[in-house]
Amino acid sequence: MTTTEDSTKSRSTTRGSYIYGIVPAGMRIPDGLEPIPHGDEDGELGLVTEGELAAVVSDVSADRPLGTRRDLMAHEAVLNAIAQEVPVLPMRFGAVVTDDDAVADELLKPHQDYFLRALDQLRGHLEFRLRGDYNQDVILTRIVESDPRIQQLREKIAGVSEDASYYDRIQLGESISKAMDQLRQEDAQATVDALSKFAVATEVKEAGGENGAVHLAFLVKTDGRDDFEQAVDDLGNAWAGRVELRLIGPTAAFDFLPEFEAPPEAQA
Amino acid sequence: MTISQQSGGGVQKAPQGGLAEVLDLILDKGLVIDAFVKVSLVGIELITIDARIVVASVDTYLKFAEATNRLDLHQKGGKDLGEFMGGLTEGATEGGAKGKTKGVLDAGKEKWDEVRGERQQSKREKA
Repeated sequence: MTTTEDSTKSRSTTRGSYIYGIVPAGMRIPDGLEPIPHGDEDGELGLVTEGELAAVVSDVSADRPLGTRRDLMAHEAVLNAIAQEVPVLPMRFGAVVTDDDAVADELLKPHQDYFLRALDQLRGHLEFRLRGDYNQDVILTRIVESDPRIQQLREKIAGVSEDASYYDRIQLGESISKAMDQLRQEDAQATVDALSKFAVATEVKEAGGENGAVHLAFLVKTDGRDDFEQAVDDLGNAWAGRVELRLIGPTAAFDFLPEFEAPPEAQA
Repeated sequence: MTISQQSGGGVQKAPQGGLAEVLDLILDKGLVIDAFVKVSLVGIELITIDARIVVASVDTYLKFAEATNRLDLHQKGGKDLGEFMGGLTEGATEGGAKGKTKGVLDAGKEKWDEVRGERQQSKREKA
C-alpha cells in the first residue's frame, strides 16, 4: 500500500538470488504468483534444481532493504501456493545468496540429506493455524459478573475523573488482564482437547493482542483434513458468540520443520 | 488478497493470514539461511522491525479499564476497544481494511514479546 517506490527506481547494481523455500525437484511453480519486487525489471520465480531437490528463487537487488508489506506478503504467498501442491521447506524471510550457482552448490548439495529427509517427513501433511479472538463485551461482562472485587473497582471508578482514578483504573485493567490470561489457558487446553486427535502434531502458541483467545498450529494428514476442519467447525459452533475462530491454511509447515543440526564446522 | 469464506460453523477460513500472521510465520520461523550457507551469503538489510508497534502493558490495562467502564454503554453503540486501538495506531502500520485492527494488535503483541527479550530481529550484518 505504501511501499516505497524510491528504492525500486534506483538502478540496482548488485543482484542476489532470493530463496523462498526448498521443494522436490520437478515441481511446477503455480501460475500467477508475484515474486518480491526487483527493480524495474520483471522479476520471475524460478527453480534451481540440484539432484532430487529444487529451490524456489527470484532475483532481488542486494542494495535495497527488504521488508515492505509487499515483500513480506510475496514471500508468504509464494510458499503458501506451493504448499497446496507439494511439501515445501520454507526459508525464513530475507534469505539471499550471491547467485543461483551458490543456491545449488552451497545450499542444496551439501545439505541434501537433511532436506530430502525433511521433505519426506512432511509429505502428505498440511499445516494449519487456528486463531481465535474473544468477543470483548461478552468476555468482559462474564469476568465482571464473576468477580466481586472487579465489580467494586468498576463502581469506584464510575463518574470519577480520569486523573483521579488513574491507579484504580490500572488496577482494574490488570485484574481483567489476569482473568483473561486464565481464560486463555483454559481455552487453549479445550482447543487441544478438541482438535489434537485430528492432527499428528499440535503446538500451542501465544495468542496475540488484547482480544486474542487462542492461537495454535496443527500438522494434519492430507487425508485427515476434512475431519480436522469438521472438528474446527464444531468448536466454532460451541464457542459461537464468545470466540471468533479463524482457520488459516494450509500454509507451509513453518512450525513443524524437522530439526536441522548444523555440522560442527558450521558452528562459528 | 485474502479470500475468506464463512463456513457453516461460523469459522472464518482463509488460505493466507493478514500481515501480522505472516510476520509471525516468516520472521520467526523457517530455515535460517546462515545455518546452511556461509561463503555466498548476501547480507540484506531487513526493515521489518519498523512495522511493529509497541503496546506497553500499562496502556493495555488502561484500555481494559476503559472498555469495562463502557460495558453498560455498548448498547448505545459506543466504540469498542478494537476501534479505540485502531484509532490510536492508525497510520502506524500498513494493513488491509478489515484485518487492520487485528493486525495492529497482533503486531503490537509481537513487539511486546521482543521487548521482553524473546527475540530481537534486527539488521543483519554483511557477511
